[in-house]
Amino acid sequence: MKRFAAVAAGLLLAGMPLASSADIDIGGLFNSIKQAFKPATQDEEIAIGRDAAATLLGASKPIDQAAVQDYVNKVGLWIALQSDRPDLPWHFAVVDSDDIDAFAAPGGFVFVTRGLLLHLHSEAELAGVLGHEISHVVLKHHLNALQKAARMDLAGQAAKVGLASKGYDSDLDQELMDKVSNATRNLYSKGLDKDDELAADRMGVVLATRAGYDPYGLLAVLQTLEAADPKSSKMQLLMATHPAPADRIAALSAAMGAGNIDRFGKQPDVQDRFEDVMKELVATAKSKAPEASTKK
Amino acid sequence: MTRWFSLAALLLVLGALHAAAVSTAQTVVSGNITSGPASDASVVAAVPNATAVSIIERQGGWYHVRLASGQDGWLPMTSIRFNSGTTGTTQSTDWSSLFQSGRSGASGSTATTGVRGLNTGDIANAKPDIKAVESLDKWQAKSKEAKEFAAAVPLKSNDKGYLPEVKP
Repeated sequence: MKRFAAVAAGLLLAGMPLASSADIDIGGLFNSIKQAFKPATQDEEIAIGRDAAATLLGASKPIDQAAVQDYVNKVGLWIALQSDRPDLPWHFAVVDSDDIDAFAAPGGFVFVTRGLLLHLHSEAELAGVLGHEISHVVLKHHLNALQKAARMDLAGQAAKVGLASKGYDSDLDQELMDKVSNATRNLYSKGLDKDDELAADRMGVVLATRAGYDPYGLLAVLQTLEAADPKSSKMQLLMATHPAPADRIAALSAAMGAGNIDRFGKQPDVQDRFEDVMKELVATAKSKAPEASTKK
Repeated sequence: MTRWFSLAALLLVLGALHAAAVSTAQTVVSGNITSGPASDASVVAAVPNATAVSIIERQGGWYHVRLASGQDGWLPMTSIRFNSGTTGTTQSTDWSSLFQSGRSGASGSTATTGVRGLNTGDIANAKPDIKAVESLDKWQAKSKEAKEFAAAVPLKSNDKGYLPEVKP
């Protein structure tokens, strides 16, 4: 009977690699099966997302410029309000890296590198980038991939931690952090599935459009990335974790064309307000210059 | 005094680069440039594939371009590809270069001063920083602020439906 159960469990878990079939813990396996089909509650997702965000910010800190951070939070929240998850505790931040990339983490965390921000030309382009990242959160791409990568039930672990212990001092907090952090390091250096990226492009354009922006901002950003040297160190992480810009442009423009997005083409790109913030970022470049290089 | 000088230098650089930011591109299909950013606008000239153009501005899904002959007109956005090494779209400032020159100071000697990288290795070795996550709360926007911020443009929301996947 036990053996039969183990085989059945093995079939159910097909696709989930196991270290060895010889030392299967039947009880644990059945719990994993049950939990694998139990979606994370919003609170559990946020607990997982905080640990993933902490790991990403461990690699690159938020820049210390309130005007820029406030601006990105207002643009970001306005777009997130157009999504199917307007009530998440959305947090946006520009992080201190000259490389070109952006990240999302479960529960509503969205980070954009200063390097990417400096390559944009308008608020509509920023809206396209933030729309793409917001879409990853709305579609739970990283949440699902983290749970899969951790080969365990992070949601169940997060539920045990509970929201009461936000101090990150209990053993349960540490256990969740270790697991999420390991899965985060793995996932964010390898990237999501290509289809997830293309889906986030399509939804990102729609969210920026719903927010009233010129819908072509994201396409313009992808054209900028297409012209960048793919071998540049600034592009290394982005190229390692995303489909080639040319492939994204082809897929996105086909979907936008079929979706009659051009009737929103006269919506504003909001260049002036964007440029005011960029001037501030540039003007403080000297005083905020890092003391020493941390480039490896 | 030094500070004034730096500021003056930065303003000079800002002005110069703003004027100088012209992007060049090539067509990736053959087609027509038209008199306006619309498919029913009149044809100005036929342009074969791989025609060099300079980009004047973008309006929605269209680029206003100039040909080597001096003629100008409009092309659908995805009918061009920017030349490598350009900063991408259009009339705008090259903020990245400005930031670098600002950071390296008036001397402008070391463009790589304090460059902060973020590569796959940095992610793979990241140590969690919970305090950095907690620090994000102070910049978080409230719904009311976001709505007022949008109304100031004004940005008007709409209910555009999601885009199904279409194979290119």
